Amino acid sequence: MPIINLQHVTYRYPMTEQPALEDLSLQMDEGEFVAVIGPNGAGKSTLCYTIAGFIPYFFKGELEGTVEVAGVESRQASLEQRVRSVGLVFQNPFNQISGAKYTVFEEIAFGLENLGVNREEMPARVERAMALTGITDLAERSPYALSGGQQQRVALASILVMEPRVLVLDEPTSQLDPVGTREVFEVIRNLAQRGMTVLMVEHKLEWVAAFADRVIALENGRILAEGAPAEVLTDERLLEHHFGFSRYTLAAREARKEALWPPSRRLPVTLEEAEAGFREGLGWS
Amino acid sequence: MNIEVEDLHFSYPGGVEALCGITLRVESGELVAMVGQNGSGKTTLVKHFNGLLKPSRGSVRVGGWDTRAVSVARLASRVGYVFQNPDDQLFCKTVIEEVSFGPRNLGYAPEKVEQLVRRALVMTGLAGREGANPYDLSPTWRKMVALAAVLSMDTPIVIFDEPTTGQDWQSVVRIASVIAALREEGKTVITITHDMDFCAENFARVIALGGGRVLLDGPANKVLGEAEMLAQTNVEPPQLVRLAKRLGLAETPLSIPAFVDACRRAVRRDA
Amino acid sequence: MHERLSFYIQRNSPIHRLNPLTKLTLVFALVLISFFSPWYWTSLCLILLVVFPLTVIGQVGREFFAAALRLLVPVTGFIFIMQSLFLPGGETLLFRFWFLRVSLESVARAFLISTRIFGMVSSFILLLLTTHPSELMTDLTRRGLPGTVAYVIISTLQILPQMQAKAQTIIAAQRSRGLEVEGSLIRRVRALVPLVGPLVFGSLVEVEERAIAIEARAFSATLPKTSYREITDTSFDRTARWLMVGLVVLSLVVRILG
Repeated sequence: MPIINLQHVTYRYPMTEQPALEDLSLQMDEGEFVAVIGPNGAGKSTLCYTIAGFIPYFFKGELEGTVEVAGVESRQASLEQRVRSVGLVFQNPFNQISGAKYTVFEEIAFGLENLGVNREEMPARVERAMALTGITDLAERSPYALSGGQQQRVALASILVMEPRVLVLDEPTSQLDPVGTREVFEVIRNLAQRGMTVLMVEHKLEWVAAFADRVIALENGRILAEGAPAEVLTDERLLEHHFGFSRYTLAAREARKEALWPPSRRLPVTLEEAEAGFREGLGWS
Repeated sequence: MNIEVEDLHFSYPGGVEALCGITLRVESGELVAMVGQNGSGKTTLVKHFNGLLKPSRGSVRVGGWDTRAVSVARLASRVGYVFQNPDDQLFCKTVIEEVSFGPRNLGYAPEKVEQLVRRALVMTGLAGREGANPYDLSPTWRKMVALAAVLSMDTPIVIFDEPTTGQDWQSVVRIASVIAALREEGKTVITITHDMDFCAENFARVIALGGGRVLLDGPANKVLGEAEMLAQTNVEPPQLVRLAKRLGLAETPLSIPAFVDACRRAVRRDA
Repeated sequence: MHERLSFYIQRNSPIHRLNPLTKLTLVFALVLISFFSPWYWTSLCLILLVVFPLTVIGQVGREFFAAALRLLVPVTGFIFIMQSLFLPGGETLLFRFWFLRVSLESVARAFLISTRIFGMVSSFILLLLTTHPSELMTDLTRRGLPGTVAYVIISTLQILPQMQAKAQTIIAAQRSRGLEVEGSLIRRVRALVPLVGPLVFGSLVEVEERAIAIEARAFSATLPKTSYREITDTSFDRTARWLMVGLVVLSLVVRILG
């Protein structure tokens, strides 16, 4: 049974005509890594909120269709159930710090306090979350005295500590510098390798190609394309709809016109694929 | 309008020395990218260009004006600074009021203000959204409003602070076209960025800072090929440069046509 | 980066170990007793015999006196002088300069007011120095303070310094658009809108994002919350609180009767 099951979901924000999501159906199996790409305004964040149950609870508005997470319809689930099913991490690391706690350790434990978890259980769980995100040595620091990458890992740990079954990340690195970006993606890679079910919205196509089992291209609330990264990230429709390709893909696409890229070979989405393909195209292999 | 930096040293009040003796010149009409890790001094340096920071030692001159002797508001007639977060600037009820704020502060005549505002709105794709409340717009469009609000000041020098952070492809294309238009007009454009692909495709000169010093300063196709030196300040070369290196190509291609060119030449060499 | 985000000083004193509500009760008790008690020297005695010794027992004496010198003494000194000079009435004239009259009565009244204020604020400072904000809020929440109120108070304490930093950025951004922030009063007043606007709007955006983020941490769950920090409430605490309440009632009774 898929862990995430969206069927014909249409959603309108309050007092808005145009639906943010339109007749969208999506399924995810446990352990899958799905990346969602699309222009700003395509409905990617809306999708994240819908899966996490914030829509309709927090945002109100009109929601049609079925939203099932771990077998439970999100409109029938309590807040505790929803939070234990889906963990949500946002773009801005600073705004995810609760402000209610003075150390990283307690910040991470905040979610457990809200869920009424026994305080004897807390240290072990917090330490585990810190180890997964590589921030054990930051335990006694103030969450406000950290770099963006560190803060985002604290945010991740704060969500992981609640042991959600699915992790949803809405552009987790868009506000970070290259160092922070790398730190966060390493953590995500680690989690994925351990079998975490992940849905990640991301603009950085290089990373999408490296991690994702499946890519969904969203536009105007609808799925434009869906499939393996190699297929979706080279789909011509993406260019027509202003999604952009990674430079490797674009370079190969141009080079192919002059047979500098082997015509029979699929366009590359990673550095390795690009290197292999061009070696062949230039007659070196 | 050029910028002259002479043995610039700067320490923050806490005592941290952020800039340790920088000397450089930016000539009129140059397109320069400042790269380097967080804490390398790139933002600190660039904030000296519009007077937000004053040198602890050394000097910075903008078109001959010593920045220590001129207020930020006055320097704003020569240097426009687009901040990273548009929400730190937007306060007006409509886009057009917001974009008019800068040129009005500079004391331009109403007809000139109107003309400059129109130009800025067209450049940023905001024509048609004049009456919208900036806070009703999506974050992507708010960024365009903040950008237009600086463009309308029509300064000879324009500084962009991380313009592509969080932006989607289309928005990056739009920002690139704004930079191209500014280049056409002969303006000097300086950007702080860690998007190396954006940097390679739009900026002719790259300055890499590390630990408050200039590590590299030169044409983009030289600087962006120096992978080891760039690594010292946590900068990775652009995608195409990395690919070219892996393929053993001699060139440092900054754009897709340049890359394809380099491939063509490589084939011809072997043939 | 400011790591010291609150008045709280970490020590292991008997006062630190007291339950937060006990300390809060002490503050209220001191305030009420000094207002109800008809005896003139009440506030001064409470300050000298209660507050000062407690700061020593609480091992925060040095910090307390630093705060007192910096904050309290100038403020109460100013109030004392102002009240002495401007309180009307008073027969026994001590001192006269132009239209300013200082009489024995006005000095006496000024002393009363100043010591009351000094007593109030110093006991509050004692509370802040010996009580971690998280502990105070957690304890109050457990006793029935709505979680949202506690959250607003405590997050404001931490976020205020961040807002200051944001304000600095906004000022820089607007100056870079030609806004003059120095000069005549009119100019400075006109500069307020472009400065306050983004601060308010930007903060609203951040508040909404933060609200969603804490929801993602089950903040408004209906389950009874637990707390990582252990907050003890001993019989000593309870006795002390009842004793203080008793003294407040006593002072009220004495006032009504006396």
